[in-house]
Amino acid sequence: MKLALKLAFKNLWGAGTRTVLNVLVLSFSFVIIILLNSIMDGWDQQAQKDSIVWEFGEGHLLHKQYDPLDSFTILDGHGPIPKNQLGITPILVYQATIYPQGRMKGIVLKGIDSNQTILELPIEKVKTSEAKFPVIIGKRLAESAKLNKGDEVQIRWRDKNGTYDANTLTIVDVFDSNVPNIDNGQIWMDIKTLWKMTDLNQEASFFVADKNYKAEALPLWRFKSQEALLKQLKDLINQKKTGQAIIYLLLMAIALLAVFDTQILSIFRRQKEIGTYIALGMTRSRVVRLFTIEGSMYSILALIVGSIYGIPFFMYLAQVGFAVPPADQKMGIAIAEVIFPIYGIKLVLSTILLVVISATIVSYLPARKIAKLNPVLALKGKQQ
Amino acid sequence: MAEKPIISIEKVIKNYPVGGKEFRALKDITLSINKGEFAGIVGPSGSGKTTLLNIIGSLDVPTQGEAHVLDKNIAELSHNEAAKLRNYNIGFIFQVFNLLPVYTVFENVEFALLLQKNTVEQRRKAVYDALEWVGLQDHANKRPDKLSGGESQRVAIARAMVKRPKILLADEPTANLDSENAHGILKTMKMLNKELQTTFLFSTHDEKVMGYLDRTIHLRDGALEKDIIENKTTSV
Repeated sequence: MKLALKLAFKNLWGAGTRTVLNVLVLSFSFVIIILLNSIMDGWDQQAQKDSIVWEFGEGHLLHKQYDPLDSFTILDGHGPIPKNQLGITPILVYQATIYPQGRMKGIVLKGIDSNQTILELPIEKVKTSEAKFPVIIGKRLAESAKLNKGDEVQIRWRDKNGTYDANTLTIVDVFDSNVPNIDNGQIWMDIKTLWKMTDLNQEASFFVADKNYKAEALPLWRFKSQEALLKQLKDLINQKKTGQAIIYLLLMAIALLAVFDTQILSIFRRQKEIGTYIALGMTRSRVVRLFTIEGSMYSILALIVGSIYGIPFFMYLAQVGFAVPPADQKMGIAIAEVIFPIYGIKLVLSTILLVVISATIVSYLPARKIAKLNPVLALKGKQQ
Repeated sequence: MAEKPIISIEKVIKNYPVGGKEFRALKDITLSINKGEFAGIVGPSGSGKTTLLNIIGSLDVPTQGEAHVLDKNIAELSHNEAAKLRNYNIGFIFQVFNLLPVYTVFENVEFALLLQKNTVEQRRKAVYDALEWVGLQDHANKRPDKLSGGESQRVAIARAMVKRPKILLADEPTANLDSENAHGILKTMKMLNKELQTTFLFSTHDEKVMGYLDRTIHLRDGALEKDIIENKTTSV
C-alpha cells in the first residue's frame, strides 16, 4: 500500500497539468457539497430554533375541532381552559376583518396572555399601551396591510352569538420574526381583551406547552409534540436538500467523469509502463491497485487543495453568514435574512467519504482492464 | 554429474492469431541453457527471438511443448507465481529501455527492490552498488529524460541487475545505441556475467553483440537453425 501510494503520488506529480485540473474540479465539488449542505443545516437548525421559540414551544395542545391549517375550524375549534393543567399558555384564535386605508382584509386575531414567557412574541408591549385595543403585528402583515407602529386600523368581527361588532385597533409594535406562521395575516393581542371582544371568556383554541407540561388525557384536547410540529418544516428542508443534492451530484459527476477520462487515457497511453511494471515482477492485481490508488489520490489531493481555499472561505462565511434574498423570505417558511452555515463533523466526514469512495470507484472501473492486458503487447505499447 | 539446465525448452510451439488465421511464431524449439551462460538468440526480424525470450521470461506461454525456467513450468504458473518468478529471478532489458519517466535514476533502479521485502538501507546499498557497476552513481537523482541513450540503457541494466537475478533477458539491448555505447554496455554485461554468474540471454541480430556471446542460438522463421557454443557448432 505504501509503495502504491508513493508510486501513485509520483505519477500524479509527473502528470502535471492533468492532475492540477482534475484536482481543482474535484476540490470544487468537495467545497460546494460542504457549502450547500452546511447552509441547509444552518437553515434547518435556525428554522427549528426560531419555530420553537416563536411558535411551537414544547408542543401544542389543540382543541379537537381546531385545525391550524383549516380556517373553517376556527369558529367551533375552541373550548374552556382545563383546570389544574400546568405548563400551558392558552391562545384563542378568532376571525375578523380589518380595513387598512379603507380596504378590506381578512385576518386572524390571536389572543395570548400578555405575561407569557414561553414564546418570544413581544406581547408584553400591549400592557404599557393606553390604547383601548392595543395589538402587535409582524413585519409581513405590516408590509402587506401597509400598517406601521402607532397606526390605528378599523376592525370588524362577530361575537360568539354572531353579532357584528367593530372598533379601532392600535398597532403598538411591529415585531420582526423569521417565522411567517405567526405573522402573515395575524394580529396578536392580550387574550383577556379578545375574551371581552368575543365573549368567549376563559376559552382557548390551543395551548403552547412549556417544560412543565405533563401530558394528560383531556377529552376536548389533543397534544401535538414539538417533534410532530417540526415534521412539516423538516420535510420541507429535506425536500430542498434533495433538490440541492441533484445540483452537487451533477457537479461531482462532471468531476468524476474527468477522473474517469484521465484513467482511461492513462491506461491507453501508459501501456508500455504497465508492461514494464508486470515485467519487473508486479502482479496484475497490484498494477490495478496502483492505478486505482492513483485515481483515488485525486480525491485526497482535492481534499487538501479544497481545504486550503475552502477552510478560510467557510470560516469567513460562518462569521458573516449567507444572505437570503428577500423573495425567499416570503416563501412562508421559517427563514432568516442571514443563514449561518453549520459545518458538522458528520457533514465533513460524509462528504470526504462520498468524494473519496466515488473517485476510487471511477478509478477502479477502467483500471480493471489492466488485469486482462497481454503484457507482451503492453510492452510494445500496442493498443488492446 | 552435469548440472541441471537453468532454462529448458522442450518442443515449444507458439501460435498467434493473425487476421483470423494462426501464425506459427515458434516451430518445435528444443534447447537448454545452463547457469552462467552468456548466450544469444539471433536471427532476422520475425524469426521468433522475442517470442522465445518472452516465454522464458514468463510473460507469455507456449501453445504446445514445455518451457521450464528454474524448474518451473511456465505454462502452469499463475499470474502471481509468474510475477514472483520475474520479481526475484528474472531481469529484463528492453530495446527502448522502458524506464519509468516520472522516477529518478535511483528510483527506477530501486523499483524492482520495492516489490521485495528489503529494508530502506538494504535497498539503498543495492541500488548504489548496481549504479556503480554501470558507472552511473553520479546520476542517481537525474530523471530519464536527462540521460543519453547509452546512459538510459545502463540504468536499465542496473535496474535488471539490482535484485541479482539468476537470469537476465535482454531484448535487442543495443538496437538504439551507437557503436561506442553498445560496446560499453556489452562489456558491462559481460563483466556482470563473470562476477555474479548471472545467466545472460540476448535476443539480437546485431553483429557487435554476437562478438561478445559465448553461444549463439540461430532462429529462422521460428525454427532453430543452428546452435553455436564457442567453437562447437550444432546444426539442427
